[in-house]
Amino acid sequence: MFPYIVRRVFVMAFMLTILSIITFLLFNAVPTDPAMLTCGKTCTPDIVAANRIRLGLDQPLYVQYAEWIKGIFVGRTYGSGSATFECSTPCLGYSFRNGEEVTTMIVDALPVTLYLALGAFILWMLIGISAGIVAAKNHGKWQDRTIMGVSLIGYSLPVFFVGLLLLVFVVVRWNLLPYPDYESPFDDPVAFFQTMLLPWITLAILYAAYYARLTRSQMLETMGEDYIRTARAKGLSERVVFRKHAFRAGLTPIVTSAGLDLAGLLGGAVITEYIFSLPGLGRLAIGAVTEYDLPTITATVLVAAVFVIVSNLVVDILYAAIDPRVRLT
Amino acid sequence: MILEVKNLNVEFTTDDGIVHAVNNVSYKVERGKTLAIVGESGSGKSVSSLAVMGLVTGSNSKITGEVFFNGRELVGADPEEVRKLRGDEMAMIFQDPLSALHPYYTIGDQLAEAVQVHHNVKEAEARSRAAEMLTKVGIPSVEQRMDEYPHQLSGGMRQRVMIAMALINGPELLIADEPTTALDVTVQAQILDLLRELQKEFGTAIVLITHDLGVVADLADEVLVMYGGSAVEHAPVREIFYEPQMPYTWGLLASIPQISAKKAQLDPIPGSPPSLLNMPKGCVFAPRCTFKDQVPGDACANEFPDLLAVSKDHEARCHLTESQRTAIRTERKIGRV
Amino acid sequence: MKKSTGIRFGVGAVSLALLLTACGGGSDSATGEGSKGGTLTILTEAEQILHLDPQRNYTGEDLAFASAYLNRTLTQYTVSKDNNEASQLVADAATDTGTTPDGGLTWEFTLKDGMKWEDGKDVTCEDFKYGISRTFATDIITDGPAYAMTMLNVTDYKGPYVDDAAGQASYDAAVVCEGNKITFNLAKPASDFNYAVTLSAFAAVREDADTGETYDDNVLSNGPYKIESYVKKDKLVLVRNENWDPATDTFRGAFPDRIEYVFSQPAAVITERLMADAGDDQTAISPDSVDSAKLAVVFSDAKYEKRRYDELDPYVRYYAINTKKVPNVKHRQAILAAVNRDELRTIAGGEYAGDYADGVVKPNIGADYAPTGLWDGLLGEAVPAEGNPELAIKLIAESGEPFPQPFVFDYAKSETNDKAAASLVASLEKAGITVTLNALEAGAYYGVVLDPEKQGSMSAAGWAPDWSNASTVIPELFAANGGFNLSQWDDEAFLAESDAAKVITDRAEQAKAWQALSKKSMELALALPTRFGKEQRIHGSKVSGAYIWGPYGSWPYAALSVN
Repeated sequence: MFPYIVRRVFVMAFMLTILSIITFLLFNAVPTDPAMLTCGKTCTPDIVAANRIRLGLDQPLYVQYAEWIKGIFVGRTYGSGSATFECSTPCLGYSFRNGEEVTTMIVDALPVTLYLALGAFILWMLIGISAGIVAAKNHGKWQDRTIMGVSLIGYSLPVFFVGLLLLVFVVVRWNLLPYPDYESPFDDPVAFFQTMLLPWITLAILYAAYYARLTRSQMLETMGEDYIRTARAKGLSERVVFRKHAFRAGLTPIVTSAGLDLAGLLGGAVITEYIFSLPGLGRLAIGAVTEYDLPTITATVLVAAVFVIVSNLVVDILYAAIDPRVRLT
Repeated sequence: MILEVKNLNVEFTTDDGIVHAVNNVSYKVERGKTLAIVGESGSGKSVSSLAVMGLVTGSNSKITGEVFFNGRELVGADPEEVRKLRGDEMAMIFQDPLSALHPYYTIGDQLAEAVQVHHNVKEAEARSRAAEMLTKVGIPSVEQRMDEYPHQLSGGMRQRVMIAMALINGPELLIADEPTTALDVTVQAQILDLLRELQKEFGTAIVLITHDLGVVADLADEVLVMYGGSAVEHAPVREIFYEPQMPYTWGLLASIPQISAKKAQLDPIPGSPPSLLNMPKGCVFAPRCTFKDQVPGDACANEFPDLLAVSKDHEARCHLTESQRTAIRTERKIGRV
Repeated sequence: MKKSTGIRFGVGAVSLALLLTACGGGSDSATGEGSKGGTLTILTEAEQILHLDPQRNYTGEDLAFASAYLNRTLTQYTVSKDNNEASQLVADAATDTGTTPDGGLTWEFTLKDGMKWEDGKDVTCEDFKYGISRTFATDIITDGPAYAMTMLNVTDYKGPYVDDAAGQASYDAAVVCEGNKITFNLAKPASDFNYAVTLSAFAAVREDADTGETYDDNVLSNGPYKIESYVKKDKLVLVRNENWDPATDTFRGAFPDRIEYVFSQPAAVITERLMADAGDDQTAISPDSVDSAKLAVVFSDAKYEKRRYDELDPYVRYYAINTKKVPNVKHRQAILAAVNRDELRTIAGGEYAGDYADGVVKPNIGADYAPTGLWDGLLGEAVPAEGNPELAIKLIAESGEPFPQPFVFDYAKSETNDKAAASLVASLEKAGITVTLNALEAGAYYGVVLDPEKQGSMSAAGWAPDWSNASTVIPELFAANGGFNLSQWDDEAFLAESDAAKVITDRAEQAKAWQALSKKSMELALALPTRFGKEQRIHGSKVSGAYIWGPYGSWPYAALSVN
């Protein structure tokens, strides 16, 4: 196991390096002059030229890339003379549109997205899996049909619609909750939960619907397996058959799906963050895209990629823990 | 009498209509004896045994008739009562041991679980019983195997594990559903030998479900041939081989590969098994029967023959007269003529 | 330079006013009545105020906001519902609206006594001089207007952060402090310099409080409020600045006790909240337009009548015709005649998107606007909004030469713009003109079209004047020395007329000159004006003094109160 993880970490580092090169090249392939973008409305060729030097954009690409990588590990200094400023380790670049270090912005946004994703994840896994099990146990009966019907609706509603609907009715019309105003859970837990509740529900509705359907179909498939018949033939009660024999086997695809979905959300839940005014990674990324803030775009892409790659590893390890046939080599 | 099945019917309601999987099947099995139920897939042989085990539970299924196990009626009995019998007094093994064993649990765990579900014993005790049973079924280096997973064993070993798991609580009845079909020919023989030995040791009654009459000859005392959900011939094993009375049984016998025989070719039964949804009006085998023209009128197409005694302990369904059957068997060299 | 693509970068918007009559005025207009106290909430979709640093602030609404609450400028526009009145200058930090003894080459302002920074120190002439010098530090003070650099007689100055004696001497000669009097020496006469100083680029910044690049987040106030807290993407809170003396200020009402600027709110939610008008939202406004999905409801239901606004915004939308690529005037006129402006407006959002434009000077600029008659016979025949392809065909025939091909139309890619481009292709096709589309990424758009090598035959653009004088429109767009001459119009006669108009000191005469040039630019078909943009807003029921203030097309922040 341990050598496997070490090897995977090396592969991850390699993949991130490749990805960073690709994003870095994309940064430079955009038909927009990054120096032009730093210079605003009163732009003259002189300012552009000065900013180009200040940002190191006059250097060859490989030098720029080396500088950027160096920045991540040892920090870097931008510009020279009066306009010098330090970008501290790990420096993911400097956002001229925001006048802030990219690392600072990521560090600020990350916990918000983390809380959003984890809260929603717990909620949807609980609801989705329970609903799926109830449906599978009552296959063909009214409970099954109701759960499947409701989940179909939940699954087909766009996040934007659900979020806005919840916000408009629960907050604006009925005043059941205050307006979303993000606070750290350590500063003001009550405000935190009041703000996060609707976003969690919004995301959970979509995902719970999907997981209810996934769990149901997995359980039904598993319940048809030969080893379930064996378990019954051994005289095990239905409860034990379901919990011990069927559930664990049906769990594997759910774990895979859950890992990737969670990773996807950790990269930023753009729409939900937008609707509920949450200053998370999704907002950061979308803001960076609309403003052509390329250092921030690159950094958010990499952060999202780290989540996906790490979650892939976690999923693989979990997979091996659940299914002894899977060997991590 | 360990098991007595009377007029067992199993029906499944599907979107396409009612499937008559088992129709009026009756048989008995005595302590220490082996009944082989022979037939093609879809003949109802497996379903009838699952029904006996109480494993046909879907809300779309309907079981009628009587099943007496040690004198207790199981049809309509409290499912919880039947559950307590399963794995304890009656057990079952299946065709493909790889898929029938749970892939996520070790051999030891699965056997110990089988003990603990019926006996209030500690884990250690259950495991020692498991080890003992595994040794008995011929698993080498049991202590190590106990901690292995099914996929780490060979096919033959897996089936031995299945047998050990089925017999661990000393059942009076073992239903073996195609226990050797998924195995190599050499391994098949070993497993059959094992079953025979264990039967001798424990006095277990066995219901052996198979499509292979070759297996039957080795193990069975009595044979029930099923076709299209119905019993079509029922006789002691010698009678089936020497005096088969039913064209379907003839077909099965002809399908046995005989290395010694001059006529070495397989002689499969033409056509395919009937759909259990749309049963033919007359004899269930008539559409595939080569000899139906010898029966006067359209009897085969219109009338399902009764299961009639041919001799003591031997019953068969067929419109052909006894002399016609003898003539055909003589001509075709079927059985001992 | 002011241009618009719809993304935040490039959206600078400033002043306009209706019927500007005379220069200066100097009337100490009242800020209206309002009750003191309460909290004014401002809801916006933006994640921050683009720039609070006065030298970097160049967005109409933000200028109106910051100038009303945080930074004082030498002059201001009148706080009035009436656009005519609003376009008149009033004195703010200065005792009058400025004087010029020599026809606009030298401007003098005298600072009021008793003005204080939020920490109690006096606001001095040196503070203004220092603030204005920051514009020159173009590597740090980005995004702001460049008027200090273009108008003042300064050479080779790199701003206060660079140690350069020669440059500093040049600046010191151009901006001179004598006690309370600040004198500006301009490079060329400008009769409207006292309008330019309404921009906060000419506001004071105290040297010891200047934190350079991060001053955006640490603005030291000399207005009626000061920053209590500012968290981008979350909230900006302003509280009263006790060191602000209302006796020195006739411009600012300063009615609410507290101002909360709430960021990152979805557009649909802002509109929904303001419509619902519950709780704290009754004292809320938004600088953002009403969500388009709710426009019909807001403007049809009588219950919103008293708190909804549908007014011209500062922008004119137009397609600049590249005269280098389409040199024949008849050809250019044919384009104007052929285009279906009605369809273009429908695609943009119909009546709410704006009125049909008849030139690049907008009515809400005031005196400099007069109808050009563009669509009523200026092209030879009347042209309905749906276009007149027959006239276009006739004009091309009269030209005696074939229409120059390829005819490339540049525009910034977006769903709406794609549809507009398709409409353009269809309507020009009817006149026998084949259009080649050049859809560019929004962020790269102006970088491409401002490069004469890369610009096509016609380029979509938007423009808002920086102050209520067509001097910030006509020369910029059509003179050879203009900063945004996408029409590539290099005509000496036009340049001479435009330069002459700039220095006319009689405002009424000057207005006539601009009106004539505006008409001429349309006769020459230098651009196809499509729309005078409009905006729709709504505010909470307990906000008083709200209307769309002409100079910035913004809320009149100085006059807002809550009850």
